[in-house]
Amino acid sequence: MMKGLKGLNILEMADLGVTFTTDTGDVPAVRDVSLHVRPGETLALVGESGSGKSTVALAALGLLPGNARASGRVTVDGTDVVAAGEAELARLRGRTASMVFQEPATALDPLTRIGRQIAEVVRNHRPVSRAEAAREAVELLRRVGIPEPERRASAFPFQLSGGQRQRVVIAMAIANSPGLLIADEPTTALDVTVQAEILDLLRELAVDSGTGVLLVTHNMGVVADFADRVAVMLRGEVVETGPVEEVLLRPTHEYTRRLLAAVPRLMLSGEGPPPSGPPEEPAVVRLRDVSVRFGRGRGAVRALEGVSLDVHPGETVGLVGESGSGKSTAARAALGLVVPDDGSVSLFGTDLNRARGRARRALLAGVGLVLQDPVASLDARMSVAECVAEPLRMHRRGMSAAERRERIAEVLELVRLPRELAGRGPRELSGGQRQRVSLARALVLRPRLLVADEPTSALDVSVQRTVLEVIAELQRELGFACLFVSHDLAVVQEFAQRVVVMRAGRIEEQGPTMTTLLRPETEYTRRLIAAVPVPDPVEQRRRRTADRTGATA
Amino acid sequence: MDQLKPMDTTDTLLYLTRRVLQALAVILIVTIVVFCLLHALPGGPARGILGPQATGEQIAAFNHEQGLDRPLPVQYVYYLNTLLHGDLGTSYTLNEAVLRLIEQRLPKTLVLTVLSALVGLLLAVPLGMWQAVRRNKPADYVITTLSFVAYSTPVYFLGLILVLLFTQTLRWFPSQAPQGDTLAQVFADPAALVLPVVTGAASMIAVFSRYMRAATLENLSEDYVRTARAGGSRQGAILFRHVFRNSLTPVIAMLGYYVPVLFGGALVVEQLFNYPGMGLLFWSAAQSSDYPVLLGCVLVISVATVVGTLVADVVQRVVDPRVKGGRA
Amino acid sequence: MSAAQGGRFRSAGRWGLVAPRGGAANRRRPAPLIARFARNKLAVAGVLVVALFLFFCFVGPLLYSTDQTHTDLTQVNLPPSGTHWLGTDAVGHDELGRLMYGGKISLLVGLAAGLLATVIGTLWGAVAGYAGGWVDAVMMRVVDAGIAIPALFILLVVSAITSPGPLGLIVILGLVSWLVPSRLVRAETLTLKNRDYVLTLRATGGTHGRAIVRHILPNSVSTIVVAATFQVADAILLVAYVSYLGLGVQPPSTDWGGMLSAGLTAAYSGRWWLIVPPGLAIILVVCAFNAIGDGLRDAFDVRGR
Repeated sequence: MMKGLKGLNILEMADLGVTFTTDTGDVPAVRDVSLHVRPGETLALVGESGSGKSTVALAALGLLPGNARASGRVTVDGTDVVAAGEAELARLRGRTASMVFQEPATALDPLTRIGRQIAEVVRNHRPVSRAEAAREAVELLRRVGIPEPERRASAFPFQLSGGQRQRVVIAMAIANSPGLLIADEPTTALDVTVQAEILDLLRELAVDSGTGVLLVTHNMGVVADFADRVAVMLRGEVVETGPVEEVLLRPTHEYTRRLLAAVPRLMLSGEGPPPSGPPEEPAVVRLRDVSVRFGRGRGAVRALEGVSLDVHPGETVGLVGESGSGKSTAARAALGLVVPDDGSVSLFGTDLNRARGRARRALLAGVGLVLQDPVASLDARMSVAECVAEPLRMHRRGMSAAERRERIAEVLELVRLPRELAGRGPRELSGGQRQRVSLARALVLRPRLLVADEPTSALDVSVQRTVLEVIAELQRELGFACLFVSHDLAVVQEFAQRVVVMRAGRIEEQGPTMTTLLRPETEYTRRLIAAVPVPDPVEQRRRRTADRTGATA
Repeated sequence: MDQLKPMDTTDTLLYLTRRVLQALAVILIVTIVVFCLLHALPGGPARGILGPQATGEQIAAFNHEQGLDRPLPVQYVYYLNTLLHGDLGTSYTLNEAVLRLIEQRLPKTLVLTVLSALVGLLLAVPLGMWQAVRRNKPADYVITTLSFVAYSTPVYFLGLILVLLFTQTLRWFPSQAPQGDTLAQVFADPAALVLPVVTGAASMIAVFSRYMRAATLENLSEDYVRTARAGGSRQGAILFRHVFRNSLTPVIAMLGYYVPVLFGGALVVEQLFNYPGMGLLFWSAAQSSDYPVLLGCVLVISVATVVGTLVADVVQRVVDPRVKGGRA
Repeated sequence: MSAAQGGRFRSAGRWGLVAPRGGAANRRRPAPLIARFARNKLAVAGVLVVALFLFFCFVGPLLYSTDQTHTDLTQVNLPPSGTHWLGTDAVGHDELGRLMYGGKISLLVGLAAGLLATVIGTLWGAVAGYAGGWVDAVMMRVVDAGIAIPALFILLVVSAITSPGPLGLIVILGLVSWLVPSRLVRAETLTLKNRDYVLTLRATGGTHGRAIVRHILPNSVSTIVVAATFQVADAILLVAYVSYLGLGVQPPSTDWGGMLSAGLTAAYSGRWWLIVPPGLAIILVVCAFNAIGDGLRDAFDVRGR
């Protein structure tokens, strides 16, 4: 009788609830989620961290961790997953429905050749010989676009790049032509250009075989690029469902509207403000022909080569590039954390790498630094007040305890954190709050330069928005210069006056933001911009078609 | 497009060279330690060579003659030189070259330690995996408690208990280890090897089942396990095809650091079961203050340990492709 | 360095079955250390055993007083009875009283030697890890060399040269067993010195001293405490070997290891009461410290060993 549903929905959830048992009691993660995926259709499940979207995805395959309890009904091609036993689930997984995960770096067994890992999935479900499975594995590798599949089948995962590893995971997922593919943030750990390739691949595979896709993501651009329908999750519940054009362009729920408003959008055309001429004042940071090599001998990696850039007082310079482009290394060189093998770094007009001892420390007192990871940026043993006080203790030794307290309260207020948080430990704060504590610590000495290395990349979009707004506002108020490192072109476009595009340790091009990002000079920058999906399905479809024709022309 | 990162053989060669140089440095430091011990002896190295009956004048004369009144660094170079010629001195109780004595005894000790290590590993690895799978169930608690007890029992006490139980009460195994001079004679009496080997393996089983349990637990929580489950692999297949190998590599690496403990165990076991290996040689040398033999043994055991650690590292590198080319 | 949404928050679920990722679950104050420790039943039992033995050895002699200095040749090798609960040894000492008396030495020497080893190891490992480069390379080769020479062999050589008192014993044991903690602390220092908050401090003009004193040492405390606990366990075990190797404290003073090796031959003639009590005492106390170390490690969530 369940078979009657088969032609209709490949996945159907009714009143799914998931509760985690933890040391501190039961935590409901998902409540009353009902949704369905039809063959050949892509449903995007979107939401911020903690919304329960990944839990829903895992529940669909019965892959929830041991301390989770699911209730309600989850049906995959007629099988009730919640009620099914482990043997029945094993028959389902990888054949009827399969999954692609977020982290290609860890998703594959590091000690098993990739061909064997794919063949294992084949042989789990079909009685084919070892040799036949190996041949199929090569064929699958070819289908997911791995060059020289015969050779690479015998490679170990560490020999492949992140994008290639994700292709291997996809090959495993499609090995038995499943009716349902669940993709949990499949491109989040990848660079934008690679993300575009992986999304193209997934789309192609789904269209070819009529596979239903459940796509879990936080990225509205990816949704616009890929999904037919969208379900928006908030605190474990689905708050809005509908076709992608409806939800993204005419959202009805308050939360969806807020979420979409917070997404940074890359401007693709139009006129920016006229670029002002180069400022008269001397640069606060000046890198000249800086080269950095890591390691020695033949294994050495050239992290930077001949990088020259300036940051002038009061301006924000965006440093963009994909992973491995050297953008973080350049920021670190500007701070003296990395000593260049060649070239010079001057900070506030003084050669940083010649300054020693007290002079060097005095120089660095004029710098504030905010790093990416909200957890690792603060010493978990210290209170918020102690974290913020640290630069004062380093550079304002004469300050009395009362003055220090006052200054801390002041700066916490600047970053819009309530005073009461001063006594708390970082563990009790949210990611956004922690990043604002880092910002407060960076600004407590009223620096002339703020270096921000992906300060909002680990945050949800709505939180990212507030943190960025705080930085921009304080910059207007306090007038510090900012070196802003980011992989996100839309954020940089909104935030920086000038932009420096890096690639493989070199500067690809640099110029006023609106000029460089609207009318890029180099092919690489053009490709980078083209790869960023915009959160507008109509516009995104147009760009994709244009890109295709452009590419074949 | 992405390049296939190579599994470079020159990388492996480079690693090997570096690792061997490190091992040589360690051996050099060991010789310094032994040299210092030599000079800490009552009467110094002269006493070590002339024997316990030498008078003060004899020692002084010897010192002058042998350049032992020269600065210590010069003497150290001289000492290294004799070592390089394979001269470890002469035993003054057995009246034979120390190197000869060690040559006779070392293979027997190696038989004992290698057998103990094999028995220990073969039991510890499945035990640890089983514990990880049955985590926090009664079986896990029982084995954990037994591991603690086995680890906490002094080897000589354990040996005594085993002898009392299996020799005196049950009369299953003899209380003496095989006595023969050749390895063939040692292996001719396997029953006599049982108690020494088990005694030597006990703490190893305890330690390595803990390692294996921890490594297996860690690997069970890895993402690739979830990927395999999502591909429809059964729990057992995942455990034996993936988790086992991934958990074993760090355990093999620990093996290198366990070599000195094995030799330490052999010292006690040989004395306890009267097995004529290096441990017993060392033991009797200590009773008769036969310093050349003592220091020679320390030197040889340490070199054996360094070589053991080196082998364990290299084996791990061969088993685990990640270490190659993983990081420059 | 793409935005790995939530990717960094995964430490919470190290065994894959703790909390849902991200969000509210991370924001809670973690359960206090004692509560996390108390969940490990073996570790709690360990604390009880150690407390009992401390009471037994240091308060026990006040309640059950015996003469442990003079031999009494009229009372030798008596089996357990109403007057001598655990019998007497070959020179007429009461075995139960001797167990208390020897336990004092075993526990004191073990604790002191374990702590000394931890202190030496911590300093050595912290300097090597923080300095890095060739300093680290040289210091770690020294550690490798130390590990390569089995401790029992060194102790036997030392016993052939000299016979130290309890204080000398502590120093010798400390000097042969600091190697493992030094490796652990070095590894910890290496990770901590590249933590973002230390980088931030260094990038904004903080000194090495501040980085070490304010961040690296306090954050290594958990590693050091765990290492120290295991070190004490190993040291008590090592003390038990020391008498066996002929390096133990001199009669009439004794320790559990001394009692055990003195009773070895007696055991063959059926005088079990001379070896079973000290043997069990050693096993119980060493087990207890190991269990405590295990519990502390899980409660602190530190790696190693």
